[in-house]
Amino acid sequence: MTAFARFLKSLFLLELFKGLSVTGRYFFARKFTLQYPEEKTPLSPRFRGLHALRRYPNGEERCIACKLCEAICPALAITIEAEEREDGTRRTTRYDIDLTKCIFCGFCEESCPVDSIVETHIFEYHGEERGDLYMTKDRLLAVGDKYEAQIAAARKQDAPYR
Amino acid sequence: MMTGTTASAGRIELISEESRAEIDRWIAKYPPEQKRSAVMAALRIVQDQNGGHLTTELMDAVAAYLEMPPVAVYEVATFYSMYELEPVGKHKICVCTNISCMLRGSDEVVAHLKERLGIGLGETTPDGRFTLKEVECLGACVEAPMFQIGQTYYGNLTPEKIDEILEGLD
Amino acid sequence: MVTIEIDGKTLQVPKGSMVIEAADAAGIVIPRFCYHKKLSVAANCRMCLVEVEKAPKPLPACATPVTDGMKVFTRSPLALEAQKSVMEFLLINHPLDCPICDQGGECDLQDLAMGFGKDVSRFTENKRVVPDPDIGPLIATGMTRCIHCTRCVRFGQEIAGIQELGAVGRGEHTRIGTYVARAVTSELSGNVIDLCPVGALTSKPFRFKARAWELTHHAGIAAHDCIGSNIEYHVRRNEVMRVLPRENEAINETWISDRDRFSYPGFYSDDRATRPLIRQGEEWKEVDWETAIAYAAEGLGRVREKYGAERLAALTSPNASVEEGYLLQKLMRALGAHSVDHRLRRLDFRAPDSEPLAPALGMAIADLETLDAALLIGSWTRKDQPLLGHRLRKAALRGARIAALNPLRYEFNFPLSEHLVHAPQILPAQLAAIAKALLVLSGQPAPEGLERLLENVEVHESHRRIATDLFEAERAGVFLGLQAQSLPNLTELRALANVIAEQAGATLGYFSDGANAVGLALAGVLPHRSVGGQAVEKAGHAADAILGGESRGLILHGFEPEFDTANPGATLAALQTADFVVVLNGYDTPAMRRYADVILPVSLVHESGGTFVNAEGTWQTWRGAVRPFAEARPAWKVLWVLGNFLKLDGFEQETVEQVRDELREALGPVVPDPRSPWQAPASLAGQGGELYRIGHLPLYAVDAVVRRSPPLQETTDHIVGALYLNRATADRLGLSEADTVQASQDGHTATLPLVIDEGVPDDCVFIPQGVPGSDSLGAACGPVALQKVTA
Repeated sequence: MTAFARFLKSLFLLELFKGLSVTGRYFFARKFTLQYPEEKTPLSPRFRGLHALRRYPNGEERCIACKLCEAICPALAITIEAEEREDGTRRTTRYDIDLTKCIFCGFCEESCPVDSIVETHIFEYHGEERGDLYMTKDRLLAVGDKYEAQIAAARKQDAPYR
Repeated sequence: MMTGTTASAGRIELISEESRAEIDRWIAKYPPEQKRSAVMAALRIVQDQNGGHLTTELMDAVAAYLEMPPVAVYEVATFYSMYELEPVGKHKICVCTNISCMLRGSDEVVAHLKERLGIGLGETTPDGRFTLKEVECLGACVEAPMFQIGQTYYGNLTPEKIDEILEGLD
Repeated sequence: MVTIEIDGKTLQVPKGSMVIEAADAAGIVIPRFCYHKKLSVAANCRMCLVEVEKAPKPLPACATPVTDGMKVFTRSPLALEAQKSVMEFLLINHPLDCPICDQGGECDLQDLAMGFGKDVSRFTENKRVVPDPDIGPLIATGMTRCIHCTRCVRFGQEIAGIQELGAVGRGEHTRIGTYVARAVTSELSGNVIDLCPVGALTSKPFRFKARAWELTHHAGIAAHDCIGSNIEYHVRRNEVMRVLPRENEAINETWISDRDRFSYPGFYSDDRATRPLIRQGEEWKEVDWETAIAYAAEGLGRVREKYGAERLAALTSPNASVEEGYLLQKLMRALGAHSVDHRLRRLDFRAPDSEPLAPALGMAIADLETLDAALLIGSWTRKDQPLLGHRLRKAALRGARIAALNPLRYEFNFPLSEHLVHAPQILPAQLAAIAKALLVLSGQPAPEGLERLLENVEVHESHRRIATDLFEAERAGVFLGLQAQSLPNLTELRALANVIAEQAGATLGYFSDGANAVGLALAGVLPHRSVGGQAVEKAGHAADAILGGESRGLILHGFEPEFDTANPGATLAALQTADFVVVLNGYDTPAMRRYADVILPVSLVHESGGTFVNAEGTWQTWRGAVRPFAEARPAWKVLWVLGNFLKLDGFEQETVEQVRDELREALGPVVPDPRSPWQAPASLAGQGGELYRIGHLPLYAVDAVVRRSPPLQETTDHIVGALYLNRATADRLGLSEADTVQASQDGHTATLPLVIDEGVPDDCVFIPQGVPGSDSLGAACGPVALQKVTA
């Protein structure tokens, strides 16, 4: 390119108008921005948020203490202790997930043979103290109880692809 | 307790004198250290003595008599279908339902017996006269379908013949 | 040797061996379930089918003997097809419950299904379900998972010697069980858990507690008998979750006893000692280690000043490690005290010079199998040292003539050639009769001093038969068992056993007490001998005198006097009156708080490293598997610090290995020889009495850990505190089963139920020692009086 052509380009502010045309195009285009928290993005049924322990419809906890989630967890965030319950079944006496360690990979959910440990669509939670993000068995079951309908719907939606 | 004999608490006296004499004849057929070889014969003899079935106490007695672990006697007694572990009727009808008899109509024989006696396979009539049992091949395929009552074989069975046989029994 | 080829690899294998053995030796993997190298071949799982050239069908590798020029293909299409088909059949009825199965993660079926199984089962019919029998407190059952390999059945027949499990029924209805509800009682029963290739038989105390992949493995040495079985502690988060055997062909082969396997719950008993305690009047004060050790050192120093060093004493349990024993005796001898001992269950301390250097076996443990004849004196080998019993059983099945002379009619799991059962006072005369018969056979004159004794001894046919067996055998052994060693006439028995062994050309041996009696004897934990059996200038008091009130200041390490000593009644009384008692123990019991002045919490065997010398003289060192409980510390370290606080020389060691090496250097090359220079006993007659107590030590009462293990205490093998009498004696005394009876010995009494047992000789009463109920009585063996208690 010659020096003369460069001179003309800069004289007539060509680059500026090029840029303004992009701005102008998006100024009138459909908007993507969501007004979080008033507005929310749709979530995939496979979304991996806060963990929950599920129960069977009869109220019996699903978890059988096989410890596969504990074994697969790459962040070593899960701690399980098990014992024989009075009725002879294998149950956990302790099921802890340290959310400060968890990397939300979803392997625990994948490894679970009874669909007990799941990751829900809940991602808006916080802890004010360190212990707040240490989920115990009771808290995990409570999450499961509260959101069972949502969890079950998401599992159903995803079922054909498994 | 610690110093007692726990290995076999069987009471040999449950076996009658005659039965013991008969078992001894069987024991004599085997080398002395292979006494337990007589277990099948001993169980049959004791079963006959007890009116057709074995009890745990009798099996323990056999174990003690033949100096073998009780569980080894249970193994034999539960393996063979000739040993009865529950009380049976006076006449034990063993219907063969193996291949030859099946092809020649053992299903009908079973159906007829069930209907006539009003009991299913493995059951005993309330009056304690008949027990109906399904067994594997008894080696009498030449006259299939067949069954065995007591020690006797009856072949080429038809519903009419069955009725005749059953009526002929006391 | 024949030459065969497996998968193109040419191998030289011994004639008569099976294809699978040849493959295992060459490291070629053939899948299997029912085959086990220590059991007979059953060939019923068919998993090891391999292709053999010129054979029309695949053959089971475990039951196909090698022939010269044989060509075997373990991975050929035919072999793989066969193996996969077998796997499909095995999985037909196997439940898909791996997530709740304790075997999951260490399951042969799971592993092999990964290699030979299909993703989808073609079996659409109902699966078989089998109810689970209750076979005792040690083994959990899940019989639906059983694949009928019959390893457990064969183990019972061939190894344990009592067939308790059997294959009942046939075809699809086959199930492994006891048929009638019955607990499995073998003292080796836990091994079926290891043998079971699936999750049908699993450990009950371990049930659902942990997964195989969570556990770290730490080598250890079993601490409950003189065999020194090689074990493995499986640890999770600093807690022992289970104990499994480590293979050692020379010692425990692939087995361990139930006692070694299931004692670990005792580690976690509620009464573990947590912090050092010192007595403040009637109160106990928790203090730090420095204060406690200073207090102990000061107290011992005070006693030494007041009464002199000879009134100081130290006792340790026969389960103490070599290092602990060595430092303990070093500490005491540096203080000028020679009263150290580990022979707590002994009653007879006469003739200390006739003591052997160490109560060793006199031969290798594995060589017990090769004996042609043996005489067991006062030993229930099967229960006292289960794996020595197993070796003897192997010898007996090979045709060895094994006789026993016992104070109780013990049940053996192999045929004894003779079983002489007599009251303890008569046992020396019985041995003398065998010796007399032997002298006739050997044609030699009686050794000096014996002629007069043997003159009036009556020799029966049974004595002659035992003598002949021992005399004619190429390899014979004479063994003094636990019971013999705790009788009040040990001196006579030992002398006569020496005579018999010498005359018959047999090996003399001891089945010693605890895990380390041999090691502690070598380490000099004896009042009359220091390291390596060197005589000391002035012998100290032996355990009986120490516990009989001779000592004013004591260190007690690792035992509970009320259960672990020969005379608990007298011991407790003496400890009460002692001036200063330092207790080093893993547990903190109310009894201890009554007599102790300082309680120092020390670690148990799994928490501290150490060395045991087993009966055959093998030194085995292990390291701690977990951190010590709470503030407990290893006993050797406590003794080391105590030595430094007392400003004694020679306490510079920093590691447990240094302590061991120091001892080994001091010992030099020493062979623990069980033979001893005996002296002819003065008389054969023992002290009599109207009624005599026999205090056999039950197998699940041998030490504090075992006594605190609930599963072991719940077994039917456990002997509870009671008075066992035969019918004739009971009738003579006017007693019957319904009675509650008070037993008294020298003013020590206990009230116990009465049990009729025909295995007890006339005019004797068997009152087990080491169990609750008899912990207040006197000498474990000795005169006793019984009196009916009227309600």
